[in-house]
Amino acid sequence: MIKKILQSIKIIKIGDWFIIILFCALIIISTKFLWNLPQGKYLEIYKNNEILATYSLNQKITKIIDGEKGETKITIDNGKVRFSSAPCAKKYCIHQGWINKANQIIICIPNKISISILGGKKNYDSINY
Amino acid sequence: MRLNNLLIYFLISLLFGCSDNKIHNEKDFVFGTMIDIKIYGESKINAEKVSNEIFTEFHRLHKLLHPWEKSTITDINTAISKNKPIKINNNEVISILRNVQRLETQTQNLFNPSIGKLIKLWGFHSNDYNQETIPNQKKIEKLVSSNPLMQSIKIKDGILKGNNKNIQIDLGGYAKGYALDQAKKILKNNNVNNALINIGGNILAFGKYGERNWVVGIQNPRKPNVLATIALKPGWAIGTSGDYQRYIMVNNQRYSHLINPKTGYPESKTQSATILLPPSDDSGTLSDVFSKPLFIAKRENKINFAKLLNIKYFLIMMDDDSILISESLNNEINWEDDIDKKNITIH
Repeated sequence: MIKKILQSIKIIKIGDWFIIILFCALIIISTKFLWNLPQGKYLEIYKNNEILATYSLNQKITKIIDGEKGETKITIDNGKVRFSSAPCAKKYCIHQGWINKANQIIICIPNKISISILGGKKNYDSINY
Repeated sequence: MRLNNLLIYFLISLLFGCSDNKIHNEKDFVFGTMIDIKIYGESKINAEKVSNEIFTEFHRLHKLLHPWEKSTITDINTAISKNKPIKINNNEVISILRNVQRLETQTQNLFNPSIGKLIKLWGFHSNDYNQETIPNQKKIEKLVSSNPLMQSIKIKDGILKGNNKNIQIDLGGYAKGYALDQAKKILKNNNVNNALINIGGNILAFGKYGERNWVVGIQNPRKPNVLATIALKPGWAIGTSGDYQRYIMVNNQRYSHLINPKTGYPESKTQSATILLPPSDDSGTLSDVFSKPLFIAKRENKINFAKLLNIKYFLIMMDDDSILISESLNNEINWEDDIDKKNITIH
């Protein structure tokens, strides 16, 4: 069996090796560029004082969360996330727009819902704001 | 054999890597903001018990000191507005008010918690503060010229007299800091040595996170990320006054809740003022209170106020994104990558 494989490798000529290596390189490069997976990027949604849910950021979906004052919509769009609707008066959470980096956080105090992006190295324990 | 050993070490290190159960995190909403308690190195049961004791204390203070929902403070305000003396049976409230009077004098009246009427006029005595107009100029001027001051209040034998009908006490710039100091007492009483308490951005670092100091991120006033990080030595407190949490927008102009008691208008040239204070019994209170004069004072006076109040660690962000920072803080701060160093001036 092994002998057969070795024999067949001997059959492969330099030109074949060239093509094999070229295609391998092409696969590696295209995975890196086209496989747009933000590695280790997850969204954490807090309601009141507890983690409500954790979602992958690598999807396109709108989640509806029931908060203290009503319905909050959180939109995930392949690597980024935002508050898209909220029952609070001033809509500061919506005006914050998209966040896409690890450890970014948006808090909606009236509706007691906050979102933050996990992943990467978090270089602090708490935020002073 | 060697490979086996290596494999065992690897597996053991994996086990340790996974078990970060030395940190316990509890959250709650009090004082209209988020409270975050992290306790290091205690059992889960003990950490939960102590956290709950702290939350209970915060809820008690919230009810005692609330500026517009019925509380001891609103009872006092009602009496003052009718020019009637009022008997206060709560020694804690008396000592808080006396302390507030001292701090007002020390900050040359830039920290003035008797301007509740102005704060209400600007629409901030509400959980939604959805006011869409700015107040009538004459009303503002009238309140400012009536010169409400905590120092006018006289307390003798438990009887309080306001001596100015326009005094309305609002401890919004004091209560969260005071609560930090109360939390510190609870931690000590329970022999908890390492914790990080965050009350809506006012943070107290108690002890350490294991071998290293607690690290906090300083919020960028205009972006949803941090400006910089700083390690807090054991016992240090950090407080920020910012225009980005409580504010109203009228005609694309931002009006924050940080009102200059001398003009009656929100300070508009400053985005945030952050201070760090060394360990002391009232470091939490002072980190809350002393950030106000640094925020409200004119740019040219900010540094003088820092000197006057002996604040060696400060960071102030102006409306043009320029940053004033003290030399001591600049030596220890870690800026995030997207900060333009050209905008920083060291004092």
